[in-house]
Amino acid sequence: MENKALFEKLSSRLDELSNLPKLDDNKSISSLIEEKGFSRREFMGWAGAMTSMLMLPASFTPLVAKAAEMADRLPLVWLHMAECTGCSESLLRTATPSIDSLIFDYISLEYHETIMSAAGWQAEHNLESAMKKYKGKYILMVEGGIPHGESDFYLTIGAHGKTGEKIARDASENAAAIFAIGTCSSFGGVQAAYPNPTNATALSNITDKPVINVPGCPPSESNIVGTLLHFILYGTLPALDAYNRPKWAYGLRIHDACERRGRFDAGEFVQQFGDEGAKDGYCLYKVGCKGPYTFNNCSKQRFNQGTSWPVQAGHGCMGCSEPDFWDKMGIVHEPLGNRLYHTVFGGLGSDATADKIGVGILTVTAVGIAAHAAISLVKKPKEW
Amino acid sequence: MIKLIEKIEGEAKLNFNFKDEKIEFVDIEFMSTRNIENILKGKPAFDALVINPRVCGICGHAHLIATVKALESCYENLQISNKAKSLRELTLNFELIQNHFKWFYLTMMPLFGHKQEVLKATYPSQLMGKAIALFGGQYPHTSYAVVGGVVCDITEMDIIKLQHYIDKTVQFVEENLLKMDSKSFSTCKSVESVLKYEGDLPDILRQINAEELLEHGKSYDRFISFGESSYFKKGKSIKTRVNNNISIDNVKESEMATSFAKNVSYKDKYYEVGPLARAMVNKNQLILDAHKKYGDSIFSRIIARVCEISQLLLHSTKLIKELDLNEPSYIEPSINIKQLNASGYSAVEAARGTLIHKVEIENGIIKNYEIITPTQWNLSGGTREKMGVSQKAMIGLCDVKTAELVFKTFDVCSVCTTH
Ligand code: SF4
Ligand code: SF4
Repeated sequence: MENKALFEKLSSRLDELSNLPKLDDNKSISSLIEEKGFSRREFMGWAGAMTSMLMLPASFTPLVAKAAEMADRLPLVWLHMAECTGCSESLLRTATPSIDSLIFDYISLEYHETIMSAAGWQAEHNLESAMKKYKGKYILMVEGGIPHGESDFYLTIGAHGKTGEKIARDASENAAAIFAIGTCSSFGGVQAAYPNPTNATALSNITDKPVINVPGCPPSESNIVGTLLHFILYGTLPALDAYNRPKWAYGLRIHDACERRGRFDAGEFVQQFGDEGAKDGYCLYKVGCKGPYTFNNCSKQRFNQGTSWPVQAGHGCMGCSEPDFWDKMGIVHEPLGNRLYHTVFGGLGSDATADKIGVGILTVTAVGIAAHAAISLVKKPKEW
Repeated sequence: MIKLIEKIEGEAKLNFNFKDEKIEFVDIEFMSTRNIENILKGKPAFDALVINPRVCGICGHAHLIATVKALESCYENLQISNKAKSLRELTLNFELIQNHFKWFYLTMMPLFGHKQEVLKATYPSQLMGKAIALFGGQYPHTSYAVVGGVVCDITEMDIIKLQHYIDKTVQFVEENLLKMDSKSFSTCKSVESVLKYEGDLPDILRQINAEELLEHGKSYDRFISFGESSYFKKGKSIKTRVNNNISIDNVKESEMATSFAKNVSYKDKYYEVGPLARAMVNKNQLILDAHKKYGDSIFSRIIARVCEISQLLLHSTKLIKELDLNEPSYIEPSINIKQLNASGYSAVEAARGTLIHKVEIENGIIKNYEIITPTQWNLSGGTREKMGVSQKAMIGLCDVKTAELVFKTFDVCSVCTTH
């Protein structure tokens, strides 16, 4: 019943969208898919996968497919701030070529510095005119932390030498929806790590508009595309967690759906890279896995078209979708439970710090993990 | 006239000075910085293995490998298995390959007036991304290389998958880039034998000829390459005279007043790095032929970069055949890093050229960290008296559009440069 109401709601949203003009009258998404040699079946297969990722029942697949086909009614502006371009790179590797096509050929990417063909003055002009022409209608995606306040000169962009902070603020003003793509734009990212020399900050700190964070360093391609599809389908903001992350992607901890979880529960730990346990796929907690403290869907979505993810390759999760993980979750190869932080909190232990910054869940988890790890100790842990 | 150059994974500002309708000088300016070197200071040394790939999302893997090697050089008698060495080299090769595809199809082709064919760029680079992820867990930004080896334990199954990705990529090359069999291509010794064939590469090369651009983009004809591997040699080449005896001690970084990027020189001279430099040092016959005919021009730069795709694919297949899966992936260092007071450095060949990392550690904590990126070499902004490599290559051109083409043949990356 509930599903039926939702189905109807989403359908009418898509009907509404279909009345909007297309960005390019001579192209349609479905004809392009065909042109590229993808069968309807393949496309529906992809839509099915997306449907389950968005936590919708399988019967919604046709709706998701339709949403993808509607993507060319919504202009998208993608800004680069202080970053490494890894998020764009992740996007360039989007799952299955049909989705690439969706992103690059079908959706009017009005402004994306890395891949658009315009450059320089022309590019700046494109941005300005996209913002004017689609005022209130465009989706804004921002990648990168933003040097802020007196330090904003650490990033100036474009021929007029505007600061990144100003551009991001202006673009946020009239966007239909704002997504902070990647940990940098969500929380400041690597450049905001102590001592944060450029005073980089999160997008949400420079605009009053609601910002949806899609963190990860980088976020998987499916989380980026899923975010877009979700917006097309619902037209509203998704359910969010305390850090404004969509719950459909960041609702569970890495640890909750980890393929090594059985090993953890059995107390079977890799004590050191390369040991027998490592060969047998034991849990990586003792070599620094931060999966128990990290909310993301990597274990389910994986990266590079579902090829793998860090824990599968034998390296612990480093918590890249959590705020300030650089400062709060290092040392990378040590468990969080038994070490001191390198933070402004003056080197308090993890549990104490977690308390101070009010992340209750982290405390509870850390205590639980520490206890568990102690009980299950089979070998002497590495000295630190 | 000021021109902004984009699509270089960030932005650079070029200020063109004209005299008698010819470019007489170009100021190069980078307008952002993130100061990663300062962020590294005071952090536990191994944290650099996670932070540094984030210097750049385009060549992050090269930064990982450079970091791990710089840290390893701080140890005495550290053991690394051949398997771990080969795996690192393979993933680094794949990163180079995927970069070259993107550069050719996303950046170069449109500059020659062709439609930007995004799918041609993404399809093969996705394959290479998957190949890296197979070992590294994800790409970009893996941290699978650690001091002492790598963390993955690969199986025969992984090797089969890997070979499949490589074969598919080779097939793409043969169907699109150069319509000939890759093996015969690898033995081509003259430009003419390449130009006989069809494909996107020969098309562009022919266009350079037709549009009389053959003389464009010449610089000092000095090349350098520090990163050694089972494929690349270290050395410098002044015109075609190669000297393999070079030392990192002679590499110098210097600040620029107008830009956030630093200049890099070797014995106070600017050198070109990248695929052309590597091919010159390695004495690659085909590229030597291109160089003999057209010097260090855009023609040679383009053919060198694209040819590296095929060569690295072939070489990677050879490396895979020689892999011994029974060797350990990781051998624990005999001393704990916490007891280490040392300094070290590394040099690896990233897609765009030599990348150098230098580190100093005290009781396992980073005291100092320096990163010298490939683009810094090619884009050093010198003075009128002593210009940087790409600056020199743009002098005398009549229009800004051609200058942009020349500039981009160096495959510049501002993300790295503004670390
Ligand atoms: S979030 Fe990560 S991948 Fe994205 S720009 Fe920042 S450092 Fe790069
Ligand atoms: S600690 Fe890490 S490796 Fe172990 S089960 Fe949890 S997420 Fe997986």
